[in-house]
Formats: sequence, C-alpha cells, structure tokens
Amino acid sequence: MDDCCELPNPRVDRRVFVKAGGLALVALGLDPIFLTRTAYAVQRRAGLAVRTKTLVCLFQRGAVDGLNMVVPHGDAFYYRERPRIAIPRPGAAGGALDLDGHFGLHPVLAPLKPLYDNGSLAIVHAVGSPEATRSHFDAQDYMESGTPGLKATPAGWLNRYLGARHAREHQDTPFRGLAIGPRLPRALRGSAPALAIDNLQAFGLRAPELARDRLTQAFEELYQGSATGLVATSSEEAFEAVKMLKTLNPQRYEPANGGQYPPGPLGRSLRQIAQLIKADLGLEIAFADVGGWDTHVNQGASEGQLAARLTEFGRAIAAFTQDLGERMADVVVLTMSEFGRTVAENGNVGTDHGHATAMLVVGGGVRGGRVYGKWPTLDPATRFEGRDLAVTTDFRDLFSEVLIGHLGATDLSAVFPGYAGATRLGLMGQE
Amino acid sequence: MAVSSKSLLVAGLISTAVAWSPARVGPTSRAKQSPADSVERARALHVLNRLAFGPGLGDVDRVVAMGVDRYIEQQLNPEKIKDDQLERRLASFEVLRTSPETQARIYVEEQRARQQRQRAAGQDSARMGANDVPPPGREPPSLNRARRLAGELQQAAVVRGTLSERQLYQVMVDFWTNHFNVFLGKGADRFLLPEYIEHAIRPNAMGRFEELLIATARSPAMLFYLDNVQSVAPGSRPPQLARLERARQAMARRRPGRVPGRPDPRQLDSLRARIEQRIPQGINENYARELMELHTLGVDGGYTQQDVINVARILTGWSMTPPQQGARFVFNDWAHDTGEKVVLGRTFPAGRGQQEGSELLKLLANHPSTMRHVSAKLCARLLADDPPDGCVDAGVHAWERTAGDIRAVLRAIFRSPEFWAPEYRAAKVKTPLEFVVSAVRAVGGGPDSTLALAQVVGRLGQPLYLEQPPTGYPETQESWVNSGALLERLNVAMGIAAGRVPGIAVDPRALIPDWSDPGQLADLVNRRVLNGAASENTLRVIREQTANLPPAQARVMALGLALGSPEFQKQ
Repeated sequence: MDDCCELPNPRVDRRVFVKAGGLALVALGLDPIFLTRTAYAVQRRAGLAVRTKTLVCLFQRGAVDGLNMVVPHGDAFYYRERPRIAIPRPGAAGGALDLDGHFGLHPVLAPLKPLYDNGSLAIVHAVGSPEATRSHFDAQDYMESGTPGLKATPAGWLNRYLGARHAREHQDTPFRGLAIGPRLPRALRGSAPALAIDNLQAFGLRAPELARDRLTQAFEELYQGSATGLVATSSEEAFEAVKMLKTLNPQRYEPANGGQYPPGPLGRSLRQIAQLIKADLGLEIAFADVGGWDTHVNQGASEGQLAARLTEFGRAIAAFTQDLGERMADVVVLTMSEFGRTVAENGNVGTDHGHATAMLVVGGGVRGGRVYGKWPTLDPATRFEGRDLAVTTDFRDLFSEVLIGHLGATDLSAVFPGYAGATRLGLMGQE
Repeated sequence: MAVSSKSLLVAGLISTAVAWSPARVGPTSRAKQSPADSVERARALHVLNRLAFGPGLGDVDRVVAMGVDRYIEQQLNPEKIKDDQLERRLASFEVLRTSPETQARIYVEEQRARQQRQRAAGQDSARMGANDVPPPGREPPSLNRARRLAGELQQAAVVRGTLSERQLYQVMVDFWTNHFNVFLGKGADRFLLPEYIEHAIRPNAMGRFEELLIATARSPAMLFYLDNVQSVAPGSRPPQLARLERARQAMARRRPGRVPGRPDPRQLDSLRARIEQRIPQGINENYARELMELHTLGVDGGYTQQDVINVARILTGWSMTPPQQGARFVFNDWAHDTGEKVVLGRTFPAGRGQQEGSELLKLLANHPSTMRHVSAKLCARLLADDPPDGCVDAGVHAWERTAGDIRAVLRAIFRSPEFWAPEYRAAKVKTPLEFVVSAVRAVGGGPDSTLALAQVVGRLGQPLYLEQPPTGYPETQESWVNSGALLERLNVAMGIAAGRVPGIAVDPRALIPDWSDPGQLADLVNRRVLNGAASENTLRVIREQTANLPPAQARVMALGLALGSPEFQKQ
C-alpha cells in the first residue's frame, strides 16, 4: 500500500500537462501521484488500454438459504430437518449437482457447474458474521460496514478500501468504485469517491441528444471557471465520466462469446459491469444488489420460489463470465448475504432467519473446484443456538483474502479495523 | 425526470435564430447600492442561507428592511410567527391527520397482506429483504396506503422547508431528526416515524435539550430502531409465559388427553415454544451505546464499555406494546434489571425502576461532554463542516448558563464573531435536501402534496428518513459532492427551470419578465435568483449560452444554469 500523500485538490488543467509534457512538471516539483494520474489520463486518451483488476460484489439481500443453494447432501440432518423443501440427493430427480461427495449445487445452478469443474468457482460454506443478530437491517449494516457489532461506523468497507489504498493505476478515473443502482450501497458509502449509476444510458445530463452536448458543454464551462475545491474536482470527474461513457454506446452493447444475460435486474447490472470492465475505465470495485431471498413462506425445493431466484442468479453469473471470456483473469465475482436461514423448515414450508450461509467466489485467480471452510455439521448439538448453521468462517476472512489475493492489498487495518483475522482459507492465487 | 423528445430545449438549443454577438454585451448593470447596503445585504443572505433553507424571492430585501438582528430574534421565537400558507398546504397530508393507532392498524394489515401475497406467490418470487420497497401498483391496497403515508411524511418535510415562515424552526426539526436518526425502513418504524417526528421531535426542537432527549428515549420509534425493546434483564420471563406455564402445569395434573372446550396441551406447548424462541435472552447494548456516542456525550465523551453495559441495564424494560395493541411506550417491570448500577461514576441505587432511566437521561443531557458534542454538531450544521472553536464555545457557555435551552444556545452561536467571519460565507455545500428546497424557494415555486419533490431529494442521494446507520446523514461536503450526484443536481436544476419537475409550480415569466440583451438577462437572474452571488465566469456563460435563443428558452436556460451553478451548490 502506498502511504503517500494526497494533493490538496489542486486545480491543474490536464490539458496543460498534455501540452507541456511530463518533464516540465517534474521540474516544477509537482507530486508524483499527480504525474501518475495525469500520465494515466494521457495514456487512456491516446487509446492505450489500461487493464486493471476488478472485484465485483453481489449482495443477496434478504438472506439467501445457503443450505439449498449449496446443498450438504452428505449431512443426514439436512434431510431430517427439511422433509418438504430439501433438494434430493444427486442422481435423484431434481437432485443436487454433486461437487465433492458431500456438497452439491442446487440443480438450477447448473450453468455454474462448469466453472466449478474448471477450477474458477470456489465456494465457502458456513460463512457469516460473528454477530448473533437475526435482523436483516442490522446484519446487512454490519456486513457492509465491515464492523460487526459496531453500528456507528460511518463508511462501508469497500469505500474504506478505496480510500486507504492509492492504487496508482486507478486514481484518475471516476469509475474506480461503482454501484449499479440509484444510490450507493452502505458498503461503498464514505469519503472516497464512488459512483452510483442506475443505467449507463441515462448517466449524464438528460436532454434530447442534440441539446445534450450543448448543455453538457455549457455546464462544463460554468464549472471550469467558477467552481472551487471539492466541487471543482468532482465536476471535472463528472464531465470526464460523461465523455468516457459517451464512446461506450451502451445501447448497442453485444455480449461476447455468446453470453446471454437473463432478463431481470441482476442480468442488467452484470451486463453493464462487463461493459465497463471491457472499456478499461479503471473500474476496481463494482457492486450490485440482487433481492428476493427472504423465503419465509413456500420456499420450494428443486423448483419454486427460491429455485426461480437462483435460476436468474446462476445464469447471470455464467453469462458474465462467458461475456468477459479471458478477461475473467482480471476479475473476481464475490457473492454475499447478511445471514443464512434456519436448518429446519418452518410451518409455512419456508425457512426463517438463521446464521451462517454460503458465498461464491468466481474468477481467474481463484483456486476453485473446492468447497472451503470447516463444516460444523447440522447436528443440533453443534448448531448455533441449537437451531442454525454455525459460522466457522468470519466473512471478513473471506473478504480480506479476496482483497489481498486479487487486488493486491497488503494492509487491511483500515478496511476491517480491529480485526486481526483468524482463518486463512487459501482460496486465492497459486500455492 | 422524463424528458420528452419534444422538449422545449430541442428547438431552442439547435436554433440558429438571430444571435446577439457577445461583443454587443454591455457592461453589467447593477442596482445602485451604498456600501453599507451591500454589507447589510450580504449579512441578510448569510442568515437566510444558514437559519433558513435559502432566500425566497425578495427575502433578502425583506430581511434588510426589518433588520438582520430582528429577523434572527423573530426566527428564534417561531411560535409568534404565523404560518397560514404552510398550514393550508399541509391540510391535505393524510399522514399528519392519521392517529398512531390507525397507523399501527394499517401496518398490521399490511404485514398480513404481505404474508398472504407471499403464500400465493408461487413462482412470482416476492421481492424481499428488509429494505426492499416493492414496485408500486402490484400490491394490495393496504400496502399502497402504507407506502403513500411514508411518502407523504417525506414530502411534508420538503413542503415545510419550502413554505414555512418559521424557517429556523424547520431547520432545527431537520437537524434533530437527523441527530436522533431513526431508519424508516426498519419494520415497525415505517409507521412509528410520523408520531416520532410530530410528537417527540417537533414540540421540543426549540425547547430544552433534556426534554428532547427524554422524548426520543421514550419513543417507540427509537426503542424499536435501536433494539431497546429487545433488551431485558437476563433470565426475565414475560407474564404471558408464566401464565402459560401455570396453565400447562394445571393441565398436567389432570388426566391426559384432549377435553373438548379446553385448550389442547400440545397447542399450549407449541405456543410456549414459539414464545420461548422469541423472548430476548439478555441486555442489548445498541441503544445504550448510541445514546452516549451519538445522542449525548460523543465518541470521546469519556464513557467506558462498562458504562454502556450499565446504561443498558438501567434502560431494561423501556419498551413498547405490540403493534396490535397500539405500539405505545411501556415500562415492563418484569424485564427490568433491579440491581445497583454505576454510570460515569454516579451510583444508581437498586430497585428504582423507570425512575433510574429518567435520572440517567438528565445526567447525560447536562453532561459537559454533551454540551460540547452537540454544540459542535450545531455549529457544523449552521456554520462550517469543521466548526471553529469560538462558535462551539459560545454554544457551550449558553448551554451551561441556561441548562440546555436550545434557543439560548442558538442565539449565542448567531452572536459569536465566528458566525459572521467572512471565510464562512457561501462556503458550505448544500445537502440534497437543502439544494432542492433552496432551489424551489429561489424560483418562488409552490410544492404540492404529491410525492415528487421528496423523490427528487432521494434521487440526489438523501432519501429522507432512510439513512440506515444511527449516525444519520453526514454534514460534511465529502459525503455529498461526487460526480454522479453533481450531474444529478444539474439535471434537477434544468428540470426545475424548464418546469419538468413534477410537484412544483414555477412561473419563470413572473420571475424574469423581460430583458433587452443577454447581459441584462444574466444580471436579472443573478439578482433575483442568486442574490448577487454569481461569479464573472457564471455571468459570462449565461450570456453566451442564452445569446442565440428565443426568449422562452433563454429564460429557461438562464434559470437552469443559475440553479445548477457552482455558486448555488453552496450556502
């Protein structure tokens, strides 16, 4: 990690640099970070691709039933506790897709099976928060702030990552931290710049096409000449982002390699993220929500409500990896959910709020083809509070490992303050 | 904002109608003012930016005419200010006329409808998750009604900020609501919040801090939001459980088996198991911690983890009745920890019940750390993100003198030399709420009772009452200025100017009736909308951009650029 200095928002027109050349500025004693940023901008304007590593976080809001997403078919208690909603054993009709003789994927996650088989999908089971809360509100808050038990943490863990780390190659882009959606999720909120874009096509000034350019130019002039401080730098980034997106033409985007995104919000989100990654805009952290997991009632088994949500989930991730193709070497998709669900099915053929769940990690640098984490078993004696799957991997262990192994972070004391880390899973990189 | 392809701008912006050449733009004409006048106007503008949600049309003149100091004193006494126009506009807000009991009933019905819908859902996977708001139009009427009430509550804040003559009072209501933040998206808080704002915050916003603190501590909204309703002394048993156990024991003494007319023992057992599963197991520290860290002492206020635990113990039993029973404040004796506790070095003797909590809150409300923490927050809101010591000290001294009279603290802040220091003029970035409300006020717009304007505030990143963490929305510019949010502000600015933002009536023609050349147009907009704040560059851009437009479009363009200008993002 760089511990280097931030400039106090100097307003130096980048075009000056282009004209004057880098050496002149070195002579003027300007900060090296500034030079890197500027150099990056020049490089990009010259059309040179700058490939960066990207982490894509998918938040399954509402608490996904990890036990039906990644089925512990080798654990006899699973079938005992879920007479009506269990996924049948592998081989049976609608049965789980066996992974390792003990776990299997929900059958509708078949599009993800090849990723597991080729070693790019790793699964962590019995992962979750050390906090006992069964409130969606609190648990999401803790997982996004990255500080279980501490509610007043102002920023999210992803924002703290962006703020703590001066990854030089990422500095000059407004797209470094981005959420698809109308506003920033808690995980990305904080003092480091991050962008929420609901729809790439609608980003920028909304006016009919011919009027838009003129309007954009008018406001750009207004801000170039009149703005100061943070408003000035942000506006510069804004107009830069608008220009960068203009060349993207999101309307005409065609996924590569025959990738087909399913209809629905997750497919739309991942499609836009894929496009931004390919455009080499310096996207480092991308975030998208996917809802519909709070299956208290009529959850279904191999088919039904949860199966419908998982179908979209699996197809969207599979389409994303297909679309990115070899570029997946630079990308990791990490899924998360605030907690899991009860081991036993409830009186409404659903499941209630539980504790641990399962998370998926997909990408080039992932040592996949394995289910990670210590399995605590579903034996009532080893369950959390006698009823839920116990947490054997703190979610911060997994998140830390991805930040270190994929994005190259070295010091996470600011990202997960006060947390030293307990388990090392070893799911990233070569060993 | 939907933009029709027939937007007014299209024709205008691409038209090559007769252009005024920039060379013809004459020197800008300014109203004749004496130096003393302009000093007074600058003071009035500063006061309207900080004590109010920005100046409305002609407000600066009015404040200058009545005297800046008199205006401040008037604003410190809101009960003496008539507010008829606002009252009339609020009359149509159902949420303000619906009793807490009715709101609770609507909520219970809504929950039931939601469950039924999920049962019926089958393939149509219900949208779930604690914070999801389902798309409108597909739910039963009770869901729509609950959502509309929540939307009205948000809109009411925008309408109050815009139309009220009691501007400082509205600013303070906004400040305290955020200081004592409650998240509208957390379960029962969806219906508890209106009562919280109307009955805990508003009556105390200009009163004594101690009373305000106690009102929030007793509010079901806060007790639910920060889990105090879950906080019980370890081992406590609710009375219904004890009754159930007695009934079950009596039954066990009788012959086993089902007797017609008597409850089935198995039913009793499963009921008991369900209750057992739901009863909280011990104290919950959430409220205790935030009470000290956020509401009173501040994070460096000198309390320990043991203090947090003991505050939680003192507040065990502070709870609410279930929604089916009206969701009122209740003190549950059975859940209260009756032992002795020590907080901040003060001993709370054993067995004083609810009284302990009241004494604790008074102790916290009048603690020196609280005076400093809250005064600093007030200065951050009213003066500068990083408030100067002089401002904070002024607040603290007034607090000491008056035992926390909010009015006196505010008066002291406004009289501190720092408040008038030139470096703080027009130096604070507006929050989205402040931006939208000040823009509507600046153009003399009248907000209606639709939910549109509140939604605009939400799109800019500050959906009212929807900040999850108990910190509330931050006050610092870093939180509000980013590229996406800035572009959205420009869209809103253009939308308001072009009359495309639903929910407000704007009459640009009344605002800027006539002008003879672009220079005069720019000057008019600067005077009427920006109150003279426009920089030379902004004036130039307005002149150049309006030079070749027909009058109607030039007016919209000039207004939009003014509201979207960097100058207007600050206060």
